[in-house]
Amino acid sequence: MTARIVVLLVAPAAVAALAADPVYIGARVCGNCHAGPGMGYQFSLWLHSKHSQAWATLAKPESKKIAQISGIREDPQESFTCLGCHSSGAQAEAWQKDDTFRVEDGVQCESCHGPGSEYATEAIMKDRAAAMKAGLQMPTEQTCMTCHIVKGSHVAVLASPQFDVKKGLAAIAHPAPPNPTMESIRRAVADGAGAKEGPKYVGSEACGKCHRGPQNGYQYSVWRMSGHARAWSTLSSEKSREALARRGLTGDPQTQPYCLSCHSPAVAEGAAAVLPSFSPDEGVGCESCHGPGSDYMAEAVMRDPRAARAAGLKTPDEQTCARCHKNVHGAEYELRREKIAHPKRPAPVAREPDYKTPVNLALRPDGKELYVTCSGSDSVAVVDPLTRRKVAEIPVGGQPDDVAFTPDGRRAFVSNMFDDTVSVIDVATRTVTKTLEAGDEPHGVLVDKQGKYCYVLNTGSEDISVFDAASLEWIKNLSASRRPWSLALSPDGSRIVVTHTLPRLGPFRAPPVAETTIIDATRATVEDRPIFPGANLLMGAAWHPSGEYALLTLNRTKTLVPMTRLAQGWTITNGLGILSLDGEVDQVLLDEPDIGFPNPNDVAITPDGRYALVTSGGTNRVAVVDLNRLTAMIRQASPEDRRRTLPNHTGKPTEFVVKHIPTGINPRGILVAPDGRHAYVANALDDSITVIDLAGMTASARIDLGGPAEITKTRFGERLFHDAKVTHHRQFSCATCHPDGHVDGLTYDIEADGIGISPVDNRTLRGILDTAPFKWEGTNPSLSRQCGMRLSVFFTRLEPFPPEELSALDLYVTTIPRPPNRFRPLGADFTPAQRRGKVIFERTRANDGREIPVGNRCITCHNPPYYTDRMLHDVGTREKQDRQAKFDTPHLNNIYDSAPYLHNGMANTLEEIWTVYNPNDLHGVTNDMTKDQLNDLIEYLKTL
Amino acid sequence: MIRRIAFTLPLLAALLLPARGEDLPYVYTKWKHFTTEDGLPNDHIFAVRADGPRIWVGTEDGLAMIDKRTGKIRSWREKDGLPWKVVTAIDVDPKTGDVWLGLFGGGLARFSGGRFDHYHQLNSGLVNDVVYGVAVENDNIWAATTAGASRYNTVTKEWTIFTEKNAPMEEIWNYAVSYADDKVYLGVWGSGVLEYDLKTGKWKEYLDPDGEMEIDLYRDDGIAHVITTGVSYVDKILWVSSYFGASRYDGRNWRVFYNQDSGLPSDFENNMKARSGNEAWYCTDKGLGAIMDFKTNTWVAYSRDPKTLRGKALVTRDKTVLEEIDLETGVPHSFMIAVDFDGNDVWVGTAKGLGHGIGEGYYPGLRTRPSIVAQGR
Repeated sequence: MTARIVVLLVAPAAVAALAADPVYIGARVCGNCHAGPGMGYQFSLWLHSKHSQAWATLAKPESKKIAQISGIREDPQESFTCLGCHSSGAQAEAWQKDDTFRVEDGVQCESCHGPGSEYATEAIMKDRAAAMKAGLQMPTEQTCMTCHIVKGSHVAVLASPQFDVKKGLAAIAHPAPPNPTMESIRRAVADGAGAKEGPKYVGSEACGKCHRGPQNGYQYSVWRMSGHARAWSTLSSEKSREALARRGLTGDPQTQPYCLSCHSPAVAEGAAAVLPSFSPDEGVGCESCHGPGSDYMAEAVMRDPRAARAAGLKTPDEQTCARCHKNVHGAEYELRREKIAHPKRPAPVAREPDYKTPVNLALRPDGKELYVTCSGSDSVAVVDPLTRRKVAEIPVGGQPDDVAFTPDGRRAFVSNMFDDTVSVIDVATRTVTKTLEAGDEPHGVLVDKQGKYCYVLNTGSEDISVFDAASLEWIKNLSASRRPWSLALSPDGSRIVVTHTLPRLGPFRAPPVAETTIIDATRATVEDRPIFPGANLLMGAAWHPSGEYALLTLNRTKTLVPMTRLAQGWTITNGLGILSLDGEVDQVLLDEPDIGFPNPNDVAITPDGRYALVTSGGTNRVAVVDLNRLTAMIRQASPEDRRRTLPNHTGKPTEFVVKHIPTGINPRGILVAPDGRHAYVANALDDSITVIDLAGMTASARIDLGGPAEITKTRFGERLFHDAKVTHHRQFSCATCHPDGHVDGLTYDIEADGIGISPVDNRTLRGILDTAPFKWEGTNPSLSRQCGMRLSVFFTRLEPFPPEELSALDLYVTTIPRPPNRFRPLGADFTPAQRRGKVIFERTRANDGREIPVGNRCITCHNPPYYTDRMLHDVGTREKQDRQAKFDTPHLNNIYDSAPYLHNGMANTLEEIWTVYNPNDLHGVTNDMTKDQLNDLIEYLKTL
Repeated sequence: MIRRIAFTLPLLAALLLPARGEDLPYVYTKWKHFTTEDGLPNDHIFAVRADGPRIWVGTEDGLAMIDKRTGKIRSWREKDGLPWKVVTAIDVDPKTGDVWLGLFGGGLARFSGGRFDHYHQLNSGLVNDVVYGVAVENDNIWAATTAGASRYNTVTKEWTIFTEKNAPMEEIWNYAVSYADDKVYLGVWGSGVLEYDLKTGKWKEYLDPDGEMEIDLYRDDGIAHVITTGVSYVDKILWVSSYFGASRYDGRNWRVFYNQDSGLPSDFENNMKARSGNEAWYCTDKGLGAIMDFKTNTWVAYSRDPKTLRGKALVTRDKTVLEEIDLETGVPHSFMIAVDFDGNDVWVGTAKGLGHGIGEGYYPGLRTRPSIVAQGR
């Protein structure tokens, strides 16, 4: 209870309102009463079950594999998603876990029975009704299915059969005898012999504080999964009692010195031999082999092998084991020893190789080095443009995306999309000297001409961080539009143009409107926000050397027509935007009638202003645009043609696209050297740079960035995801609608009816493996179905992926990671508002005291760790276009970054889900809530 | 004007004139008017905010911006993207240049780079759409609404609501909000002034010990009345306006001003803004009252004669008229709603147009000068 008391002292106001809120006390507190024959050995039954090992199993290679194919980058034992089912209280704050609680105990009593601080007293527990009133829960089959629902990731790796909940419940049944008597796990210790000199047993838990995690070979977890850790609990079995009887002994084996001498040697030595940190239930713990640890457990001692030995650390040998494992010698001994081996450096497990995946590049101001951000290997490759070789690689943060130099070339700034940081590189030493906290998912980064400000585009939080480029202090955030992507500085240094991939949030079923943000680079303020009607996915940007206009890559996605119009070639088109200084906005396509120009990722302009080079990530080409011809065409067009014809005319590109240059696989960023002789293209999916000779407009060289030669199935799938070959006339790739594996913010009419039936909001692909079924109508039970024939029929209008490609594609899709939640890092305390919101999310009664039906509580359908029950529900959101009223329950992880909401995207904000679209309380009982309660609920939702 | 004063003011008026060389306040004698004829979207001016060369004007039907460099006026109505037509409050984020608008019945809007972002009680955490006041505090935007105060953090995007649940608001009808020196001040209808200390997160209330009584039983014992309409904290001095008198607090002593014993044109004040610890301007229903020197209780009251349409500046000290200056062009109207300072200039929003007082030769406090009237101006 100490932790709780501390919180009460520190934050009385915050906690006062939650005084009745229970905290997790841990299985061992339950074991203080629920042990022994008088209680049917309930604690031992749990300890002997897989539940008690649920946390430890996350150390297994299989768990890592599951995490990997689920897009979970962190260690499974540190992943909120994994811990959600492999431990108790994963969602709880630190203060909600008493000092007696240990996450290492996995799925404990309180996972099913609720946090126990308020009911776990003998007086209350003897009265079931009182206990229930105090928070004791009695689990149902549904409780089990919250975690034991089929998970594609687990099936894929473990080939585990569908969970039979009845069998499962039978397996963990722990009935108390008719006239139960409470007995403690410490009862054997209390019976121990007299005083003992010398070192004491501290317990394996103390060892586990250091000997854990991948850096230590998960030693503690390895022990927890071994039979040794269950040696004491196994004494509760009938078999143990029979064995005891055969020796002419009776009673409880867990208190028999004869049994304990091998099944819990420390306990056998008596109460005086153990320190309070020792728990008798640990069986054959670390100290059973290595000797009691009180004198050597200190880190300073353990780091000195001789000192540790002198302090009592033993190295077990065959004789050590033979004390209990009699008649085990030779090969048998080696076999058993191998079984419990726990080396600090275990044999490496096969893992997905680190591809480089270069995405953007920048040339040092003196032109001598090319910095290439490698999002796959969390590094920046340094390339010598003269020798065309990689000369160094600088580790940076997670998923680096963009890089920019200061004008003096002494520093480089790298945006790390996954970590929400910016790495500051000292160019001379090629080391990261500082890491800046940015907003959510930083993408583009740029330093102004004076070297005064560093701008960072926060794609997730939809704002622009402005740092002092010299002091590295954060100055302010500027408001962006939706998912700012890249930025370019005008030749005179006065303006910065910012592109955005998502269109502005607008009225339901309206054409997209994309925004460019113009920053006054002298004041670091927003000057203007020109819009591109009908456009979305504005990505690359470049200014013409004259400064008269900027070019932007864009898509023109017609969401008001059904996807069937793809066959006519104009559902998703790709092109360029021209933003003139005078405020004029023009759009042209780069698609041609028989072949599209999908995924126009970036654009660069030659120093003489004559050509623009545009990368097509979906067809592995660079288009060379003659800018004189392009601007002449625009000038000669009528205002009506500029507004309606040019933006949609696939016949026009032949007038200004003079050449296509093949590149490596999936070209992204492109850069033209200031000398005008070469351009460099980052080929994301073959780990290379294509060098373009601008004189001949040919690909003259390939620079290998040193990625793995092997193409894994996942990498193959990634290539398919970004390749437009599967779509009719190569109009788009999977990545078109799912940039960064996320959303494009649009609502599509993707069915074949062609009359606007069932428009649905695009959903993220991040971390979705275990959230089946897919599709808002829930008709696709697997990704294979989602991405297979259905994709062909409704989206791509070509032959479906062959089985091996489909399998690879699905594998890749599942590995797309979900970025860490920026509103609540794992283990962080809630803010007061978030804490209040959690109470509302889990509430069972409305403000007026009436009980909320179970089916109408937030937590019922949105249960952790994905916050979805993966079932269809009617929440009253059916519109006249919809075929059905029931829709798939979406998962809520990182829900803050995927507006708009509801099945058809009609709610622009989380608030609108309840203030506008829940008039009858069908989507949870919410209309009784005050505005501040709704605000709190939303603050909590953003932490999921 | 010279001749007019010379010929129309009788001898009595001349007797009121102070002797030459008396300490007198600065008087704004040059005024310019802006109305719909000049390009404002509406003549009912509810808010005005000076931002360098830009003067932002909130009206009953639209937003306007006067560019002092070019003299041009741009305006935005609902058809131009303004989310709601009635603009009752304006503040500018000094870091980003974004303009925040309080919309009477329409919530809150951010005007940034030509884009309006609309925040209202259905699509955001704003507590209520009837917004009377808005203030930028660091990265936070505060809105005074009819159902409490809202705070929006532009970095974390978190909304916080302040009502009777978490602030000492006996009423939740917030009329005004301002920010200075790590403190946010709320003028609350019926709850006086609430001070929120950013460093401690604690509230402090300033009340009228006489409660809601419209008479002041004990003078200078607190704010004039708990129905407050404006609050301004400058030079560690708190200035307050209410429907029943004005107040000033120096951290130790209160001083209350009434029409009966000061130059305040009326006790019914719609708004106020302080320029310093010594000078504050009150928008009343009968004119604009500026206390120009606190120590001597010297005021200048600006008004407009509805019949002659001429302006008047009345200089008083302890209710004694020092100067009565007739102005061919004075303030646009005597019903004052908003005021802001722009260097030496002053801008006032009235029920009939915007006034721009040109502060040529402005000086703070008092200065020995000849009477303007005596000078024959």
